[in-house]
Amino acid sequence: MDYRLRLAKRMLFNKKSSLIGAVLAVTIGILVIHVNFVIFQGLFDAIVRDISDYRNGDILVTDDSDYIDKSDLSLVNWFERIPYVEAATPRLSSTAEINMTKNGMRFEETRIPIVGVDPFRDIRASTVHETVSEGNYVFSRNSIVLGSNVAKDLGGAQVGDSVKVKVVDRWGEDQIRRFTVSGIAKSPGGQGFDYTVVIHIDTLRDMMSRPGDTSSLMVKLNDPSKAFEVKEFFLRSFPNDDFLAETIEESAEQQLAGFRSGIAMINMIGYFGMGSSAFAILTIQIMLVNGKTKEIGIMRAIGAKRKDILLIFIFQGIIIGAIGAGVGTAAGLSYTVYADVTKMSFNNSLPLEVTYNWEKIIQTALTSFALAIIASLYPSYRATKKLPVEAMRTV
Amino acid sequence: MLEINNLSKIYGEGENKVKALDNVSLSIEQGEVVLIVGSSGSGKSTLLNMIGLLDQPTNGKIFIDGTNTTTLDDNEISSFRNKKLGFIFQFSNLLTDLSVLENVLLPREIEGTNNTAEKDARDLLKTVGLEDQMYKRANKISGGQAQRVAIARGLINKPSIVLADEPTGNLDSVSSETIVQLMKSMAKKLNQTFIIVTHEKEIFGDVDRVITIKDGKAFEGDQPSKMEVLA
Ligand SMILES: Nc1ncnc2c1ncn2[C@@H]1O[C@H](COP(=O)(O)OP(=O)(O)O)[C@@H](O)[C@H]1O
Ligand SMILES: [Mg+2]
Repeated sequence: MDYRLRLAKRMLFNKKSSLIGAVLAVTIGILVIHVNFVIFQGLFDAIVRDISDYRNGDILVTDDSDYIDKSDLSLVNWFERIPYVEAATPRLSSTAEINMTKNGMRFEETRIPIVGVDPFRDIRASTVHETVSEGNYVFSRNSIVLGSNVAKDLGGAQVGDSVKVKVVDRWGEDQIRRFTVSGIAKSPGGQGFDYTVVIHIDTLRDMMSRPGDTSSLMVKLNDPSKAFEVKEFFLRSFPNDDFLAETIEESAEQQLAGFRSGIAMINMIGYFGMGSSAFAILTIQIMLVNGKTKEIGIMRAIGAKRKDILLIFIFQGIIIGAIGAGVGTAAGLSYTVYADVTKMSFNNSLPLEVTYNWEKIIQTALTSFALAIIASLYPSYRATKKLPVEAMRTV
Repeated sequence: MLEINNLSKIYGEGENKVKALDNVSLSIEQGEVVLIVGSSGSGKSTLLNMIGLLDQPTNGKIFIDGTNTTTLDDNEISSFRNKKLGFIFQFSNLLTDLSVLENVLLPREIEGTNNTAEKDARDLLKTVGLEDQMYKRANKISGGQAQRVAIARGLINKPSIVLADEPTGNLDSVSSETIVQLMKSMAKKLNQTFIIVTHEKEIFGDVDRVITIKDGKAFEGDQPSKMEVLA
């Protein structure tokens, strides 16, 4: 082994407290980044996952300016012939006024989003039916699923209660119908139909006088990475229909933009953490160098060049960085695995979407490794300024 | 062969100016054991540091084996020290992070010629009587043993001059005796020049030459009354 590397190693390992301190600094810097990633990226991905599962699918097809008037059946069939497509389902949206009389009290709520679904297709393309915690989805023409918040605002509506729903049809006329509550929807992260009511799509079409119209087609893929490809293929196949097709990234962008900048900020904080661990290494190494003044003098006296002294202490930075990056990455991965297997959730409700982003993991490890080396440059330079006459001095 | 011409060293500036060496000239032949004596603060260490190229003189020239050392740059000085000079200091000479053997090997590793290094180091350690301490960490041996390791380390690159600044200054009389005999026998055996600063001239017995430093000036011999100024 090169004597400089051997000296670097020995000096470091013979000074355990400094070594542990420096390695810990790197480790904590990396761990902060991993924990931030698991929690905040996990939360972000969980929300994207829920928006995709409940509302927008992997691809959301809408009409550029109005309702889709092409037959929903033919569109669904067109999509489901593509091998990447799991299922597709039409939805029709509007707003409604809902009232209910319970125990002699009348509750009224206005401007409630109302969604019409095709129940047998919907349960294949979306998991939102799984959020119907009490009762059933809307399998009959006069049943309605209330979002949990709507139910609460209506004075605690329950399955079996009767509600009146008023929507405005395409001619501007009020249309009122009576429904029986068949279920209450409540999703862990609130991205489901918690603030919405759901009825059968044909009932809503009827009420709105829009037979055959569809607001959106939600397409679920068995391979979400093919979303862009499928979307492009769809748009090319229907060039004259004014369709708008968006992948989940595009359709959820508005909802996620703020969150995205929040994550960027938290990442910044993580990198600040890494920066301060570099500062800790710098301080520890300056102490190490000063503690070795006499040894540096001896080495210089017996012929070591400035460059050799520089190398010894940069090697120390490399050793600290390598061990720290290894231990930090191992600690961060342990936390990630823990979050994964325990199905860690945010606020005890929304299960985090745990991913292993190897590119980011490696990038974090390499960055902190590089920072440790950069942090060692100044102490190493200071070491080269120690004079050989120091070897003569006492102690 | 060492030749010193009109060497002066001034420390500090203005009020704090100290003339540690004052126009010293002398030459020392290959294989000589030379003692440098004088009272504390007279300039002995300063002279040794100049010869060892550990510090720059204010004036004058030092020739070692014909090389004018005052014209060398920092890297050349380093490799000159590595090849031509050996050092034995008064205090903790060794790198305590390394073993005894590794300490002796170090000048050879710095030089970068490793062929027979390990064998040479072992032989030298045997000569100084430490073959059974080779693998000990350098802070686990006694002060006298450490000075013997320093001698071995000082000799491994077959230097032109070995410089020792009060090598026995920190040792008991028995250990001091061992160190003195070792240096004298090595000098004879290897035709090795030793320049030794000491204030215990008596324990060295017969040596080739004694130089006395007084107020930064060098005198031949050790009798202050009859001294011949080396200038
Ligand atoms: N680095 C230095 N800076 C200032 N003065 C010094 C320095 N080194 C030595 N001196 C002064 O130079 C003189 C000679 O010192 P030194 O050579 O160490 O003497 P000796 O070794 O004979 O005891 C002393 O007066 C000492 O105080
Ligand atoms: Mg001295």
